[in-house]
Amino acid sequence: MLSCSGLSVSYGRRKALSDFSLSLAPGEIRALIGPNGSGKSTALQALAGLIRPAAGSAAIGDRAVASMSRREIARHLAFLPQQPVAPDEMTVEQLVRQGRFSHVGLFRSYGPRDDEAIRWALESTGLADFADRGLRELSGGERQRAWISAALAQEARILLLDEPTSFLDIGYQIEVLDLVYRLSRERGVGIVMAIHDLNQAMSICDRISLLEKGRLVFDGQAQALAESGLIEKVFRVEGRFVQLSPESAPHFDVHLSRWRAVTA
Amino acid sequence: MTAATQASQRAASGWLVLAFAGMAVLSLALATFLGVVDLPPSDVIAALAGHGSSEARSIILDIRLPRVVTGILAGIHFAVAGLLLQTITRNPLADPSLMGISQGAMLAVSGFLVFTVYVHDPGSNTLQALPLGWLPVIGTIGGMLAGGFIYAIAFRRDLGPLRITLCGIAVGAVLHAIGIGMIAGWGSARIEVLLEWFSGSLYARNWQHVVFLLPFTVAGLAILPLVRRPLALLRFEATVARSFGLSYRRQFSLALLIACVLAASAVGVVGPVVFVGLIVPHLARFIAGRRFDLVLPLTIALGAISVTLGDLVGRLLGQAEEIPIGVITAVCGVPVLVALLRRTA
Repeated sequence: MLSCSGLSVSYGRRKALSDFSLSLAPGEIRALIGPNGSGKSTALQALAGLIRPAAGSAAIGDRAVASMSRREIARHLAFLPQQPVAPDEMTVEQLVRQGRFSHVGLFRSYGPRDDEAIRWALESTGLADFADRGLRELSGGERQRAWISAALAQEARILLLDEPTSFLDIGYQIEVLDLVYRLSRERGVGIVMAIHDLNQAMSICDRISLLEKGRLVFDGQAQALAESGLIEKVFRVEGRFVQLSPESAPHFDVHLSRWRAVTA
Repeated sequence: MTAATQASQRAASGWLVLAFAGMAVLSLALATFLGVVDLPPSDVIAALAGHGSSEARSIILDIRLPRVVTGILAGIHFAVAGLLLQTITRNPLADPSLMGISQGAMLAVSGFLVFTVYVHDPGSNTLQALPLGWLPVIGTIGGMLAGGFIYAIAFRRDLGPLRITLCGIAVGAVLHAIGIGMIAGWGSARIEVLLEWFSGSLYARNWQHVVFLLPFTVAGLAILPLVRRPLALLRFEATVARSFGLSYRRQFSLALLIACVLAASAVGVVGPVVFVGLIVPHLARFIAGRRFDLVLPLTIALGAISVTLGDLVGRLLGQAEEIPIGVITAVCGVPVLVALLRRTA
């Protein structure tokens, strides 16, 4: 339902993304990994139609994203940028309500459908009791959940998340990942998520894309990525994949230089 | 939040707006009944009803009322323009005079006065030759041109809020310098008119000024419901607003255009009344708190109230040598701003 091919983006002289391709099925979780500056955010923004690609195109279903209005896109696709900023005095409920703009538009008043969607978005992120709190009064984790909640209120079939777990403690990280999993399996939402933690990426995703300097160097399942040896090369680290239990995804165990000194 | 508390909150909001609308009407009445010439209230009422002495009728109907109404309209223009500019630039200091609009109007007016008088009659010192009736039109055009120019510069590259603010400051400074230079060089015979106009004044404003302003007010306020929701989204950064489904560029441009039209036409008629556009939106936000829906109605009411009362104070304090409204708003505005900053910090 979301696809792109040959997508290239340049910022002035610098090529941030070249010849990127991806396809996303309903209910699929796709992890997007790569070193800093490898083009993960650029790829997500190009998919969301927020930056104009120099070449290639993204499409929702069979319609080119470039040909759709922002409101149309927002009804099909919700995008949560990295570290978004909201006006200071806004409450959780007011932020989440903005997610309904693509449905109500300029004039239509909020109906029971919209209130229902807002309530569901707040409950799914465990924020129902926080609705009237100001965003400034929240902890980092709660604020991040409020933003995810606003994206959920869009009730889009496609969800793009740019490092939704960064700056959260491990408890909130797992909460976000569990929410992502529930959305994909229970509601059939297709999700593309840029994420830094390799092991979280491999355990949550159905398929994984690895970017290096704006180029797609791997597209497939986590098991195949573990066997390819690409992780060590692209991230310039040493380590090995271990199978912690038969049903879990491969786990990457990094070698730190202090351990090498001990074993040598 | 339960439905009952929501309903009671809505009722409270309604009463608040009503109270401020009442205060606006009250200030209108106050400004009509009080003035340099002491008229007993019964005479004022008689004049309003079309009776009474011809002197009282002329004071009330031809001098005070048009002046007060012009002030109300201009106050609404400045306040709403300030609110729009602060919202779309996400800059709490944005205001028509920061964005170069006032300076554009000022340059156009000074250029017009200097130029026309020399063309009419070189070396003339008679003030009757000054074509004052044209000032509103000239000022409005100048303000619009300056706004359009700033917009065009910012638009060429990237319509970032910071860029547009910086462009406004830079262009405003240059226009201001040229305007001052023009007055210093050639403006000696016109300096009184210019000074009075530059300090922002409601002196001798008549029904023609009201007729000039009113279409802008009506058009500007009529279009506001259309930008109500986009304005809420324009307070986010562009990426977020666009992700929520906003056509950022179009809505940003529309809001900027409305602000320019309102500010330029008001500057054209009464001159740059400083601080109203800056402070009234802050005051409205402070009173509204989290009830964002109230900010716009309160801004409109407070814009009308502040200019009406400011002008009344200027008239009463100065008596025959009245103090221009722009001076009053500047002097009263600073303490209000400082107080607001202390409360919100």
